[in-house]
Amino acid sequence: MTDSAVMAEVGAGQVARLAVLFERYHRSLFRYFISMGGRREQAEDLVQEVFFRMLRYRTSYDPAQSFTAWMYQIARNAGVDQVRKRRATEVVDIDTFGERRAEFVSSAPGPEESVSRGQDLALLRRAMDQLPDDKREILVLSRFQGMKHEDIAEVLGCEVGTVKVRVYRAIRALEQIYFTLEKEKVS
Amino acid sequence: MMKRILMGMGLAALAAAQPQPGADGRQQITMPFRDPSMPRKLIVEGGTGSLTIRGYDGQDAIIEYTGREIPGRAGRGRGGRNASEPPAGMHRIGGAQGLDITEESNTVRVNSSGIFGGRARDMVIQVPAQTSVNVKTMFGGSMTIENIAGDIEAENFNGQVNISNASGSVVAHSMNGKITVSLNRVPPDKSMSFSTFNGDVDVTLPADTKARFKMRTDFGEIYTDFDVKMEANAPPVVEENKDRNGKSRRRVRIDGTQSGTINGGGPEMQFTTFNGRILIHKK
Amino acid sequence: MTCEEAKNRMTDYWSRTLGEADKQEFSAHLAACEACRSEVSRVDALWRSLDLLPVEEPSGQMRERFYEMLGAYRQGLASAETQPVKRWWTMPAWQMAAAGALLAVGLGVGYGVRGGGAQPPGEVSQLREEVASMRQLVALSLLQQQSASERLRGVSWSYQVEPSDKEVLNALVTAVNHDPNVNVRLAAVDALRPFTGSPATHVTARNAVVQALPKQTTPIVQVALIDFLAELKEKNAAPELRRLVSDPDIDSGVRKRAEWALERMQ
Repeated sequence: MTDSAVMAEVGAGQVARLAVLFERYHRSLFRYFISMGGRREQAEDLVQEVFFRMLRYRTSYDPAQSFTAWMYQIARNAGVDQVRKRRATEVVDIDTFGERRAEFVSSAPGPEESVSRGQDLALLRRAMDQLPDDKREILVLSRFQGMKHEDIAEVLGCEVGTVKVRVYRAIRALEQIYFTLEKEKVS
Repeated sequence: MMKRILMGMGLAALAAAQPQPGADGRQQITMPFRDPSMPRKLIVEGGTGSLTIRGYDGQDAIIEYTGREIPGRAGRGRGGRNASEPPAGMHRIGGAQGLDITEESNTVRVNSSGIFGGRARDMVIQVPAQTSVNVKTMFGGSMTIENIAGDIEAENFNGQVNISNASGSVVAHSMNGKITVSLNRVPPDKSMSFSTFNGDVDVTLPADTKARFKMRTDFGEIYTDFDVKMEANAPPVVEENKDRNGKSRRRVRIDGTQSGTINGGGPEMQFTTFNGRILIHKK
Repeated sequence: MTCEEAKNRMTDYWSRTLGEADKQEFSAHLAACEACRSEVSRVDALWRSLDLLPVEEPSGQMRERFYEMLGAYRQGLASAETQPVKRWWTMPAWQMAAAGALLAVGLGVGYGVRGGGAQPPGEVSQLREEVASMRQLVALSLLQQQSASERLRGVSWSYQVEPSDKEVLNALVTAVNHDPNVNVRLAAVDALRPFTGSPATHVTARNAVVQALPKQTTPIVQVALIDFLAELKEKNAAPELRRLVSDPDIDSGVRKRAEWALERMQ
């Protein structure tokens, strides 16, 4: 059953059906909040908040609208500002990065040459962290959440064309930061 | 929308779409995962011969198999008109009989139904490490899955299942064959199960794994170097059977499941075998 | 196509939403233009390597928290009370963990964290009901998931529902008979045990086990069912057991077990 059909049922009063959407989306919502700089507990709290709001505002969901667009609008409203405020006061240096990395589920176990690959991934992660928030967000939405440009446009409240340009600029910015970091590492 | 015949999406992809014939009849096909909004999944069904699935640091699924092209013979693929000549400008993918490779919604499906007439087909499939893998073979040889961080579901009928360097959940079964699993990381809160009918179940877990073990072997012993806090369990049962020569044999059998926890307990891990030992190693 | 236009197409190229006509022009431009080609391949590599970044997994408690919240919300809707449901699930996670652990043990003491004071007696049984229906929701939801590991989790959760719960019983029977994964079928057989002890469901449960045996072809599950039937001393299974004993296509271990079970049931 499609997401919007399930959410329509929730809106019609079958509140328990929200469980289906929870099972489908709680992981990717969690990753979204993590990517936006949240700590684990924070991200989990925010995911709960998003589902609570989906319950609360269930009758305002229009089935013709993309469900993921609606969900991410709620997600952004619920947490991004809160997360941003906290991040501004944290300094991401290599030591805290090391701690955070230990938390991650390893997704690239492999032969020992991955030590140098590991360096690259660490650099990539740092580059992502150093991106301005809005650039990181659009990259996260399009690359990690795999959202369609039309849906992202709806979430961000802009034109589809603008989304494409912004994605392009974001990846270029990432590239510049990445190569700067790489040069720093070597020198 | 299902993608069956590979169409080039770019310069590199165009080159990869052709099966690469090598020496000794080895063929290779590259199948991209096209929908980044869905998690990656690999499904492999059927097959004869050995199967190896390996996580690597690339983007696509690379399927390599030994198979014999049978020129001029019609295929049994789906949608198959039995034309012996390919349509103008096109070539057959998966030229060996009964090999069907498709991708839809970021799931690559490799269906190998050619048990009639083909000789044993060995397959090596490489996928990005973060891919879920679901494999079911009936008449194959051994199954090897390594370096996969996604969830693994593996069923083999007659042959071993060897899973190493896994960091996702593992659910594995072999009817006749040993199961050997080594996890280098246990994801929090995921249930796992390892079962055979005839064959040892040999699992290695990180020493700090938190889990609740449910272990059952009808004829065999259970060994572990973990410090398992056992729960109250049923006593053994003595069973009288007649063997082939009509002589009466007594076997002591553990009736029921032995349960216990390690490191304070956690999600369930089930170890089941009818005829075989259970070995649970601490890494 | 100019370089400018090619750059505009790049985002579509990455997300594979480039239209057919555009794709041709794009490839053609890249073939001719060194600068654009190198930029595309460089950025392409970066774009694709983003995929390799480690993936975060949430803790297992998220599910419990969600279902508690859902249960409380439903109760709030159903109840005539005007007292608003306090949003206690936005407590810090460590406190939720404590509440969750207690919830799993028995009564919803976690709910007690909300009030802080003594619970009026009527509310206790309401809470108990709420807890039970929450567990049912979790078990049923998990049993429908695509991943075998999650369905196994659903089977584990089913041990926490009331043994009179017919919906969960049905879901387990379906799992025994139809789940595509051997390990899930096996686990589901064991999970039927509590239901054979409950007056509300024991007839249904026993019949289900009897009916399940002829449907199974996997030896490890057949043996589990046979053992179960022997334990139940379920005489209705005798014809099927006899059939198994005399069928040469059945694995010899299974046949021996069927023979043993028949003796057990005398």
